[in-house]
Amino acid sequence: MEGVLSITSLLFFPGGLFVVLLGLFYEWIDRKIIARLQNRIGPRWFQPFADTLKLLAKEEVVPTGVNPVLFIGLPLVALAGALTAALYVPMAGIRPSFSFPGDLIVTVYMLSLLTLCTGLAGAHTPDRFSLIGATRGLTQLFAYEAPFLLALLGPAMIAGSWQIHDINQYAQTHLWFMLTQPIGFIVALIGLMGKLELPPFDSPEAETEIVAGALTEYSGRGLAIFHLGKGVELVIGLTLITAFYMGGLGNPIYFLLKTVGVLMVLAGLQSLMTRLRIDQTVGMWWRYGAVLVLAQWLVLYVLQLV
Amino acid sequence: MTTIPMPTKEKFIVPIGPQHPALKEPGHFEFAVDGEIVTDATVRLGYVHRGIEKAAEARNWTQNLYLVERICGICSHIHALTYSLGVEKLAEVEVPRRAQAIRVLVAELERVHSHLLWFGVAAHEAGFDTLFMYSWRDRETIMDILEALTGNRVNYSANVLGGVKFDVSPEQCKVILTGIDFLEERTRHYLNVATSDSMFLQRTRGIGITRLRDAQRLGIVGPTARASGVIRDVRVDAPYAAYDEFPVQMVVETAGDLEARFVVRLKELFESFRLIREILANLPAGDLQVKRFPRKIKAGEVISRVEAPRGEVFYYIRSTGGEQPDRLKVRTPTLCNMASVLSLSIGHHLADVPMLLVGIDPCFSCNDRGVTISGNEGNGRWTWERLRQFGIDYYARKV
Repeated sequence: MEGVLSITSLLFFPGGLFVVLLGLFYEWIDRKIIARLQNRIGPRWFQPFADTLKLLAKEEVVPTGVNPVLFIGLPLVALAGALTAALYVPMAGIRPSFSFPGDLIVTVYMLSLLTLCTGLAGAHTPDRFSLIGATRGLTQLFAYEAPFLLALLGPAMIAGSWQIHDINQYAQTHLWFMLTQPIGFIVALIGLMGKLELPPFDSPEAETEIVAGALTEYSGRGLAIFHLGKGVELVIGLTLITAFYMGGLGNPIYFLLKTVGVLMVLAGLQSLMTRLRIDQTVGMWWRYGAVLVLAQWLVLYVLQLV
Repeated sequence: MTTIPMPTKEKFIVPIGPQHPALKEPGHFEFAVDGEIVTDATVRLGYVHRGIEKAAEARNWTQNLYLVERICGICSHIHALTYSLGVEKLAEVEVPRRAQAIRVLVAELERVHSHLLWFGVAAHEAGFDTLFMYSWRDRETIMDILEALTGNRVNYSANVLGGVKFDVSPEQCKVILTGIDFLEERTRHYLNVATSDSMFLQRTRGIGITRLRDAQRLGIVGPTARASGVIRDVRVDAPYAAYDEFPVQMVVETAGDLEARFVVRLKELFESFRLIREILANLPAGDLQVKRFPRKIKAGEVISRVEAPRGEVFYYIRSTGGEQPDRLKVRTPTLCNMASVLSLSIGHHLADVPMLLVGIDPCFSCNDRGVTISGNEGNGRWTWERLRQFGIDYYARKV
């Protein structure tokens, strides 16, 4: 019985199929809202599904000069990392399937696997756009990763646990951390945009400069799988932020309302801003993001001592 | 596994074009980069060379009107206007004032459409797609006006030799004025965005500064030059058509960066709106065309210059007394401005390059032309055989 449950949670719910489909659905919401804000009609609800199916059915062209194992394997590792992370978060507002002390750190790094794999995929293709995209992607990773993690550790410190489930429980019974730690909330939200390379942090895939960035050479299955990975990461990122900062996730209704609410804010921010240059991105994160979140940490630490 | 040896040259070259999302038309740029900083830049043009100048020699004066209108898709009227003005001067025909005023009216409407189009493209290159979508939505107003006025959205075909094809009715006047009022309000908003949105300014302020001296040395024309403080506008310096009757105020900025180019182009829109209103209010009475335009034009040569949305368009027309021009030479503003992109991009970030390129409002298809290569030996004129051999040798050396 235990084995069957584990396999179900890996393949169907909350990991596997459920997150993948939810990721595509959230991608549609994101695209639709941005389109409406930009005075366009936007895609129909099944467009992301159709895109993915089409890409999965396409032949994958492996360019000359790359290691085919790496080329085909990297998207799989990226998706696997993102799906693994889904097991430790309160997906759909129910208890995480797996939980252990310190799983917050594991989850955050599982999410970074996607960026690392994208970077590696770009860097080992003999294509200049891929290489520049990969360099930018990895540079950006160093910019937002630390502030993002610190922003998530703020609630963890108050809750007294680095276990996602515990923090979620704590958040449900206390005042929203969004109100008590506003800086952390903003940094986490913008960090998520950086992680997902959404505008204005889309310089790693700036189409007017470097075509499609690190994924320029990916055409078929690989692209689809990277795409799915990004969708999963979007769902997990939203889950983490709402579970930590917006009063926790107790049931599926709250989950839907809160995550879609944050997604709408993200979509609004995306349509409002001009793309930042990579040096501007890094400068912004280290000059403001990291400093502010560290300052908030210091305040929290002092308050806890008192 | 096969490996491609990386080029032994130390330079890391980023090719932009001939096919690239940043380019709406084909051109080939090679930017050598050191990390993100551009250290060298070269350009190769000519992918959309269509041989229009040569084709013009095989068509009669009237047919050429349709040919030159298709040199550029964005400023189609301007080319037909330059050509008509030149041919009319050659034929010594006096065009009615009303026709000249309507020509200016269409030219200014076209300038509005061209500048709004550029504004959207520039916003897109900066990664600000919302602004792109909004400005292009508003541009539809002007496209509808042009369609209502001329029947076409792109190649308006407003000119005939010796006049214009259509009149402006009072109802059309009303439509134009309503559209202009709406666009003026929107342009005010865009000017506000371009000068106060801090994220957008990060990508434009202080980027690609062209000093007055450089602008003069490189021979930059049009709004790009006026953003660097060059006081030059054919509409003011040598008024053609009805610009002597409806004078233009030149918009000049001195900063020379991308922001100044945005400001110049957007402020020129206000000037165009004012001019359109003025023309509609004071449209001179008279005919639309001359009674008779000669089929053959007596021998002679003429230079015709007008201010296109991108800068000065220059035509040289020579007649030997026949039904066809003996020579038609076109120089479009993009060719004059292209050199500035190359010299500017060195030292800038790779991310700024698309912005710098779009800053001159490039139009490739009107700028591509055949070039006489003067080598070390012989004169500048080559036989077909020699040219063919040169091409074979050139590509053999390349490979």
